[in-house]
Amino acid sequence: MLPMPDLPWRFIAILLANGVLVGAMYALVALGFVLIYKATDAINFAQGEFVMFAGFLAAAAIHLAGLPWWVSALLTIAAMIAFAFGLERVVLRPLLGRPIIAVIMATIGLAAVLRGAATLAFGGGTQTIPLPISDSPLLLGPLILPPIKLVGAVVSLGFLAAFGWFFLKSRIGVAMRAVADSQQVAMAMGINVRRYFALAWALAGIVSALGGVLWGSMLGVDNQLALVGLKVFPVMILGGLDSIVGAVVGGLIVGVVESLSAGFLDPLVGGGTKDIVPFLLMIAVLMVRPEGIFGRRRIERV
Amino acid sequence: MFHSETRIFKTSYAADMALFPLPIARWAMAGLAFVFVVVVPLVASPYLMTLLNLVLIAVVGAIGLDILVGYTGLISIGAGGFMSVGAYTAANLVVRLGLPFWVAIPAGGLMAALVGIVVGIPSLRIKGIYLAVATLASQFIIEWLINHVTWISGGIEASIQVPPPVVFGYKLVTPQQLYFFLLFFAVVAIVATLNLVRSRIGRAFIAIRDQDIAAEIIGINIFRYKLYAFAISSFYAGVTGVLYTYYLGIANYEQFGIDVSINYLAMIIIGGLGSVQGAVFGAAFITLLPEATRLFLTDFGGAVFSQDTIRQLVPNLTLILFGGLIIFFLIVEPEGLNRLWRNIRNYFRLWPFSY
Amino acid sequence: MTPKFARPLALSLGAAIAITAAWAAQAADKTILIGMQCDRTGATQVVGTKLCPGTHDLIDLINSQGGVDGWKIDAEEVDNAYQVPPAIEEYAHAKQEGAVGIMIYGTPQTGALNQRLEQDKMPGTSPGFGIAASAAGKYFPYLFPIAANYWSQGAAAVKFAKDQLGGSLQGKKIAYIFYDNPAGHEPLPVIQALAKTEGFELQTFAVPPPGVDVSSQTLAIAQQYRPDFVIDHTFGKAPALVIKGLKENGYSLNKVVALVWASGEADIMGAGGWGVAQGYNTMQFAGAGENYPVIKAIQAMYQKKGQSPPAAMQATVYYNRGVEQGAVWVEAIRNALKLSHGQKPTPSQVKAGFEMIRDYTLGGLMPPLTITAADHEGGGWVRIFRVTGEHLDPATPWFRAYRNMVVDKEDKTAEQVTAKSN
Repeated sequence: MLPMPDLPWRFIAILLANGVLVGAMYALVALGFVLIYKATDAINFAQGEFVMFAGFLAAAAIHLAGLPWWVSALLTIAAMIAFAFGLERVVLRPLLGRPIIAVIMATIGLAAVLRGAATLAFGGGTQTIPLPISDSPLLLGPLILPPIKLVGAVVSLGFLAAFGWFFLKSRIGVAMRAVADSQQVAMAMGINVRRYFALAWALAGIVSALGGVLWGSMLGVDNQLALVGLKVFPVMILGGLDSIVGAVVGGLIVGVVESLSAGFLDPLVGGGTKDIVPFLLMIAVLMVRPEGIFGRRRIERV
Repeated sequence: MFHSETRIFKTSYAADMALFPLPIARWAMAGLAFVFVVVVPLVASPYLMTLLNLVLIAVVGAIGLDILVGYTGLISIGAGGFMSVGAYTAANLVVRLGLPFWVAIPAGGLMAALVGIVVGIPSLRIKGIYLAVATLASQFIIEWLINHVTWISGGIEASIQVPPPVVFGYKLVTPQQLYFFLLFFAVVAIVATLNLVRSRIGRAFIAIRDQDIAAEIIGINIFRYKLYAFAISSFYAGVTGVLYTYYLGIANYEQFGIDVSINYLAMIIIGGLGSVQGAVFGAAFITLLPEATRLFLTDFGGAVFSQDTIRQLVPNLTLILFGGLIIFFLIVEPEGLNRLWRNIRNYFRLWPFSY
Repeated sequence: MTPKFARPLALSLGAAIAITAAWAAQAADKTILIGMQCDRTGATQVVGTKLCPGTHDLIDLINSQGGVDGWKIDAEEVDNAYQVPPAIEEYAHAKQEGAVGIMIYGTPQTGALNQRLEQDKMPGTSPGFGIAASAAGKYFPYLFPIAANYWSQGAAAVKFAKDQLGGSLQGKKIAYIFYDNPAGHEPLPVIQALAKTEGFELQTFAVPPPGVDVSSQTLAIAQQYRPDFVIDHTFGKAPALVIKGLKENGYSLNKVVALVWASGEADIMGAGGWGVAQGYNTMQFAGAGENYPVIKAIQAMYQKKGQSPPAAMQATVYYNRGVEQGAVWVEAIRNALKLSHGQKPTPSQVKAGFEMIRDYTLGGLMPPLTITAADHEGGGWVRIFRVTGEHLDPATPWFRAYRNMVVDKEDKTAEQVTAKSN
């Protein structure tokens, strides 16, 4: 048996750091979801499949077309913008004003289409997205940090900050918030609501493309990559559906809670708890504050 | 069924509200019964029987989910979880206590209803997306519990082998025998639901779906009726789980994963929300879709594609069709297959004066 | 929509019936049909899209050489998307078409088909997955795992660790990282029992489905527990992430042995390629690599047709398992044809044909497979292949471990399970 002088504090620190990094990357995926919900009230259950599809596109650009990684990433972003744009036009717009289940089911249907199409187009194997990032871990004091996660987290947080600024300060962002607040009022103020709906989907496309490249390079690209989307639900419910800050906080909470529960709870219960604990936490939050930590309370009118 | 409504006059409200508003409907029902009880078992091959049996099981589950989603307007992505509750309840009762099917089936349903209430209580304050995600969470939590509590799951393999049901001393083994067994429960589910939705409870469900706050104002106890909806719907799901268990001879929670929950949602969407008939159509459609695609492509695709391409094409095309049809129906025909059926029927309804 | 759709609707219904009829009529003259299931779209797509082409290619090869005693073999594949109802549908269809048996795909599907196989007296195979106890042919007469089950794999992993650690596990620490589902739990009792008899300390690390992030588990293993050896029994994306995570945390992959579903090239690629996975020990029930006569023969077959071999062939681990599955069936049918004196064999004769397989190695691709009425597992052989350079090199001969204990457990469990359900 090894002596354990520097443990478990060091272990806890490592788990925390790991949770924060992973959580930031969850937040990025959740952001795509929040953007759409905030602007259009629509719920995208295919967020994970968006990420998967973007991953396939990036991998194809690198391996089939032989392009450098950054060109592939840019192309993926462009393609995902076009894809999200078209999707909004063809699938989501006809469903405007319909019950929420219609949109949920439409995006679930979309998820199936994307999974089938991706396998047909790109094959069933796992593909890689090689980024010029070193494999050897960074040692920061007591911490061991995998560089790809560090990059992923920094890029994610950067984009989350940029989107936050965009929504708060830029003219387009303010208009989008107005649309989200009340479509009628926004229309009365001369805002072209439909254009901002399309814009929200396009932004979600960008986020999915980034998520696809980052998660894809970390996990490898195949149809299982879409499962990252399942993580989004506790993240966004915890944070609040319509809050970008909430997505970040929710992502970090889920990342850290997962990490700690795998490190400490698992040995006690003898089973994997890291996927269940965020959902339990989510239900607890729903019971106390249904609108999430940062979400806005909605008032219903008959 | 196809029939003409000309020459029929209703003289009381009761006549208008009846389960069979037209005399001819009774004949149509008798005809249907004859087809399903006598003709089908005589004509259908064991393979066709197997397909039908899966449809019959799906019918029970789809109707149950429709009570919650289609009639009450509460979204659930957790039907599979309640099916496993029913399945393991029945499997434990049958294997440990040796109880017969007529105890195991309602017991599985009741246990699922109980769990449904437990899930329903915290979910009552929330709706829409929040409810959808909460039910999704309940599915994961139920799966986790079954997977880790060996007292429920019967061991680390989490599968319990169950002997075939015994009816009047006969072991039901062949697809033919099981067909009658399953047909009975499907018919009970259909008739019970048709009556439920005409009752006070059913009308309260519909009022809640259409405008919950208005429903509360006219005196419907939303809290209670939402719980009823959860409990009843979960009961059906539980029974579906037990029927699967008997049909497969094994209870295994991996058979009731999230894909299954989504399949059942697809059934009621494609069939048409808020309609028993629609749920039946949807159950048949979604269950038969993969086989239909495969048979079509393997028989006619050979001219265009190589065998290897077809093998890769069939499953992915099924998936694309599955998703595409959901979207198609949502956009083009929100009332689903049921509406298509009604259009055909209405054509005959005023026949020969249908213009 | 309007009633004008009624006509096309009726037409397509008619077409569907016609198809079914045409299907039934095509029962060809000298063909032996095997039902075959696969997952090309579901959770185990990465395996299915590689394994199933292997089976088809082997059968095409046999057919191109004139079949088995003049009989052509037809494996009618259907995708079950790793779901149970399609597996039942396909089974019923295959049976109706006169199939002599069925290649099952997936553990839940094996459980669901088991009783049907027994009722219909149809043999079914579940190579490397399914019910571990079904190795006991006495209690599961129609189910054939035909390859090392999870108990044999777990025992072999412990034996490998023991050999690598200098012949004794006394006082050593072993970490078992597993996918937290029933199949992931299955080897656990064997490993726990061996922990007692061999005197090592065992700690388990669960990866809950869907297992898209295992960083905290690999951290806990490499940074906190620091075991002498790691046994990896994960599925899906998790194996790649386990390799990556352990490597990132400075744990030597020489001290990791993966059970058979964490041992594919896809896992190594997913982890970042051969360079990352150097030293990783993979357990195989069919040999990895291309240097086998049967693989060369398949390549020659494609060359003769002027085609390039399928891409799936490059994933040698899963592809070769597909080839093995096909070859064992061909062998069983060959034996069955002896019993039926050249007539079309019945499913029961094919079952007996399986039980007549003796020391069948397929030119080194397989262990010396011997299937008897008592042992449907075929001996429980495995072989460790280690990532060396850009391929998987054999690190051990074919071996099996703690055989008495495993067989004893198979028999006892099988007796219990079957007693309850009858």
